[in-house]
Amino acid sequence: MSHAFTPGKVTAVTGPSGRGKSTLLYILGLMLTPTRGRVLLGGEPVSAAADATRSRVRAARIGFVFQDASLDPSRVVLDSVIEPALYAGWSRKAARARGRVLLEQLGVAARADHRPGEISGGQGQRVAVCRALVTDPVVVLADEPTGNLDRDNAESVLRALSAATEAGTGEGGRARTVVVATHDPFVLDHADEVLAL
Amino acid sequence: MRPTSLVREAVATAWATKVPTTLVCLLVAVMCATTLATVGRTAAAEAQVAQRLDTAGARVLVVSDARNGDLIPEVVVDQARGLSTTERAVGVVVPVDVTNAVIGPGGTRVPAWTIVGDLADVLTLTAGRWPGPGEALVSARAQRELGMDHPVGAVQVASASVVADHNVVGAFTPREPFGDYAAGVVIAAEPGTIADSLHVVVTDSSLAAPAQAAVIGLLDPPSFDAITVQSPVALADLQAEVAADLGTFGRTLLLGVLGAGALLIAIVVLADVLVRRQDLGRRRALGATRTTILTLVLARTLLPALLGAVIGTAAGLWIAGQWAATPPATFTAGTATLAVLAALASTLPPATYAAGRDPVRVLRTP
Repeated sequence: MSHAFTPGKVTAVTGPSGRGKSTLLYILGLMLTPTRGRVLLGGEPVSAAADATRSRVRAARIGFVFQDASLDPSRVVLDSVIEPALYAGWSRKAARARGRVLLEQLGVAARADHRPGEISGGQGQRVAVCRALVTDPVVVLADEPTGNLDRDNAESVLRALSAATEAGTGEGGRARTVVVATHDPFVLDHADEVLAL
Repeated sequence: MRPTSLVREAVATAWATKVPTTLVCLLVAVMCATTLATVGRTAAAEAQVAQRLDTAGARVLVVSDARNGDLIPEVVVDQARGLSTTERAVGVVVPVDVTNAVIGPGGTRVPAWTIVGDLADVLTLTAGRWPGPGEALVSARAQRELGMDHPVGAVQVASASVVADHNVVGAFTPREPFGDYAAGVVIAAEPGTIADSLHVVVTDSSLAAPAQAAVIGLLDPPSFDAITVQSPVALADLQAEVAADLGTFGRTLLLGVLGAGALLIAIVVLADVLVRRQDLGRRRALGATRTTILTLVLARTLLPALLGAVIGTAAGLWIAGQWAATPPATFTAGTATLAVLAALASTLPPATYAAGRDPVRVLRTP
């Protein structure tokens, strides 16, 4: 396949189980190297780069939202949010300031000093969106982000992802590209584009 | 990732995972304490052997003229004294008995040694003045036995064949290894006196063999049985062998303790890495490089290992102190350093494994 994901839009990747939605997401996220073809990020080939380079790109330019939020259970919410920024080389002070702004925007600022076990699933997923946006990435990848949520919380997370495309300053002020792997029709209804595998 | 952020992450993670952190701390503490309490005791014994080996008594070489062959004149004593391997050297005439000249032959007898060479090599002057040729110094004990109120007067040789008086001009205490002289009188030799034995204190016990060869070369005996030699070489060899045996035993025990501890730490860290594979996979997915993961796991071990080294060293020194065998400071510092390095070395394989794990594999939800 060959596909150009559109900045400023939420693209849903869908298809039956086992068709490769998550695999495509991991390839786009530079966690898997494609056996054939390549991934261009802003026109720059990045998929064949060295592991350390791909890690740095991942930390600074790509945000991830996992199905189960994957927050560190031993750390408070704010510490989880700033994790990618620390890997990208930000100072802790700057990362915390940015993290607090995002938590405020997504309505979970009051939970900044709580541990993941003390917040709801919907709040946890919104925290995960904050973490995905903390380094102001150009791409946000979400793997079944609403899989474990009820309809209200799912809508809240989708609104946050949709807002991320518009609010993104990205590189050179470009809007963000958001790619969501899902087989949830509710998510497909909210997507700007759908890529079926 | 900035170093300060990495250290902070390591501290936070170590604090969050209290069981492996405590186990690593405990294992390193046990490694240090066990080493200091067992190998440290051996090291202390090794140090004591080395210390004994270095005393003047263990470094004295005595060459005696077995046939009165005039082998040890004053010039030979001076030459022996001038050797680079010599700390001190004097010639000694076979001791004779002397009595207080005032009392006469019926008085209490004490031994008198006639010394060829510098008296300062064998004694310390405590009263009076340094004696001239033929004059004598008396020890405190001999002074009492001779019935002298003060270290002045004269002694006479208690012999039917030899008649000689020696003025006593002061008192002395002997220097090691000439402690026997505390029992009597020391007489400064007249010029031309031939000594019966040559006493040489070598500078270092390890130089006993070359010193012995050099001294015998100076005497140039006409035959091997013309002289008798009391040498520290055999003693030095024996003590060196004992020290070597103790050292080998200590090193083997040290390797055993450190090896066992390192193996246990590797198991603890590997178990921790496996339990926390989701955490490490998430970190990799969020942008942590392999080096960051490797360093993070190592730092997570280093922090409790350092704490364990401090606790274990304190405990080990206390235990060793109870046995009056406190190991040398260098050994103590070396043990703590080795324990921490062993902990880090044993962490390296599981840390490498953790860094090399595929984040996708651990992140995929079944």
